[in-house]
Amino acid sequence: MQMEPVLSLRDVCVAVRGEELLFDINLDIPQGEIHAILGPNGGGKTSLMMTIMGFSGYTVTHGKILFHGEDITHATITERARMGIAVAQQRPPTIEGVRLAQVLDYVTADDLVRENLTSRYLSETNMEGFLKREINAGLSGGEIRRSELLQLIAMRPLFAMLDEPDSGVDVGSLELIGRMINEIFSQDPLTPAKRRSGLIITHNGAMLEHVLTDKAHVIIDGRMACSGNPRLILETAGASGYEHCAACIRGEYSGVGIR
Amino acid sequence: MSQRFPDVNSYIHSDDLQPVVGDELHLETSDSTSLAEVGVLFHTGQPRSGTFMVRDLHAVCAYSEVPGLEVLPIATALAQYPWLREQYSWNLISPEEDEITRQVAEAAPEGFFLRVRAGEKISLPYQTALYMASANIAQRIHNIVIVEDGAALELITGCLTHQGVQRGLHLAVSEFYVGEDSVLTNTMVHSWGAEVTVRPRAATRVGRNGVFNSNYVSLRTGADIVSNPLTLLVGEGASANFMSVILAEKGSRVNTGSRVELNATGTSAELKHRGVSTGGQIIQGGLMIGNAACRAHVDCSGMLISHDGGAFIESIPGVRSNHRDAQLSHEASIGKIAPEQVEYLMSRGFTESEAVSMIIRGFLDAGISGLGAELDAAIQHIAEVAAQGL
Ligand SMILES: Nc1ncnc2c1ncn2[C@@H]1O[C@H](COP(=O)(O)OP(=O)(O)O)[C@@H](O)[C@H]1O
Ligand SMILES: [Mg+2]
Repeated sequence: MQMEPVLSLRDVCVAVRGEELLFDINLDIPQGEIHAILGPNGGGKTSLMMTIMGFSGYTVTHGKILFHGEDITHATITERARMGIAVAQQRPPTIEGVRLAQVLDYVTADDLVRENLTSRYLSETNMEGFLKREINAGLSGGEIRRSELLQLIAMRPLFAMLDEPDSGVDVGSLELIGRMINEIFSQDPLTPAKRRSGLIITHNGAMLEHVLTDKAHVIIDGRMACSGNPRLILETAGASGYEHCAACIRGEYSGVGIR
Repeated sequence: MSQRFPDVNSYIHSDDLQPVVGDELHLETSDSTSLAEVGVLFHTGQPRSGTFMVRDLHAVCAYSEVPGLEVLPIATALAQYPWLREQYSWNLISPEEDEITRQVAEAAPEGFFLRVRAGEKISLPYQTALYMASANIAQRIHNIVIVEDGAALELITGCLTHQGVQRGLHLAVSEFYVGEDSVLTNTMVHSWGAEVTVRPRAATRVGRNGVFNSNYVSLRTGADIVSNPLTLLVGEGASANFMSVILAEKGSRVNTGSRVELNATGTSAELKHRGVSTGGQIIQGGLMIGNAACRAHVDCSGMLISHDGGAFIESIPGVRSNHRDAQLSHEASIGKIAPEQVEYLMSRGFTESEAVSMIIRGFLDAGISGLGAELDAAIQHIAEVAAQGL
């Protein structure tokens, strides 16, 4: 039986402050699959996630977004979050006087399992000291990753989107970040093959050693340039800084390899 | 700035109402609810060392449950203790200071006399209520608090109108004497009807190594509040901390200042204003005057949520140095709620109003948290009301 995808984008175009940034994006994430989003800086990867979450700067000018078949193109951020969509942002805002502990308390919502998981990772990531501090204030890149992933562990979303969870993370911490991500996607620790769905933006092949992805998509200049096997794409296209992909889009290769 | 002067004669202010001292309090549920909101509790086992209350024009209750803390209605105390009139009453504030003080001095004011004996540290807070249960009352109050050397007291003062009362006038002169090595914490929670005019006149003298903490939270702001307390730090090492949290809703004007004179070596003072306007006008001021080797800081911070109908926030933090070893500083900022902060919390599942409320709460809390359950509840209340005013 073919199951309905968890998330589908149909011909989605997005404008940021009146300027078109994403063009005709089509994407299906089936149940239990995690897809990687690759591509050069400024291509529109972050914009894609922010659009799916519903942030107000990102206007869908064409097409629609479906979550479990339901049209959420115009749903509020809160509605999407409560349906189970979540994002770990790359540059989350600081909020004066609001502490990480308050947000964690809110999202765990007295659920014992989530509370236990959260406190376990709090101590593993040495983030206890940040609980009483203003959220995101003065954090290093690596600390922001851990704080964002902790919040997602506390939320246990059905569909998680992670924006460069490995950037600013030193090699030694990559394993821990990988474990946190696998925790976010895990449905049941005893059957690792059973996972929740989501998206990971990364530039880093090492990340994909820790978190296995089912498929990768390359976004260049706001367009979905190609989709395929994550490792293959990283090895062939990523190595060239996506020059290869750009050339491929221009038609200089005739369907060799990855399209 | 010229202020419309409140005219006592347009309110009930004589002995039209019969005194009820000694009677049962006869608190209706609605009275208790209003009083509890400003931190004044009337249930058995309340965590208080005693209660004083003026209801409308008369003191209806004045007792202390602990030795070392003496409480009397001001008229009784003045009759009983000649030294009170000679050394303390109208000593920090002159009756001739302005129209407000004149009108209080002319009346036979109600109010409390509170004295903590030397060395006594009162562990439970003492609560006082200045309560206008009826409409169109003009309350004229005179309070004197003496915390003798080495003593400590936490005072919770609730000033309020019954929730059904819109109009009234509240004129209050308060004189606080904080002795050597003693601590007075005065936490005031106000909750006024929409057309109430409020004019407190407070003055405080702090002795060597004494500490005066003054916390002010206004839940419902009334029409018109002007407050500019004077604090004299006269003993070496004396210190004062002021904190105010104000919500100004549509139709209200709040002008809170604070004048602190740092007159002795090693004195210090800090003033923090936090104001949120959902349609009202807020002026935050403060003047720290350094007359010795001292330190003082003024921090004014406002959040203008709506600018409809002439709402504004104005910050006028001031410092004046008369001594080359005075270290004085001030800062002020007025901001708004950033949409990306609201949306960040919404992406964690908060509703928009929950997110705004948490951000306002955070703004109000920044640097002033840990002030106890009463203020916590009051600040949370303000954050929620302000979020609804969005
Ligand atoms: N909030 C914004 N305001 C203006 N331009 C933006 C904003 N966000 C993204 N952009 C622009 O959109 C393009 C795509 O950016 P982004 O989605 O961040 O790409 P990526 O994540 O792939 O590096 C870039 O040219 C960037 O400058
Ligand atoms: Mg990006």
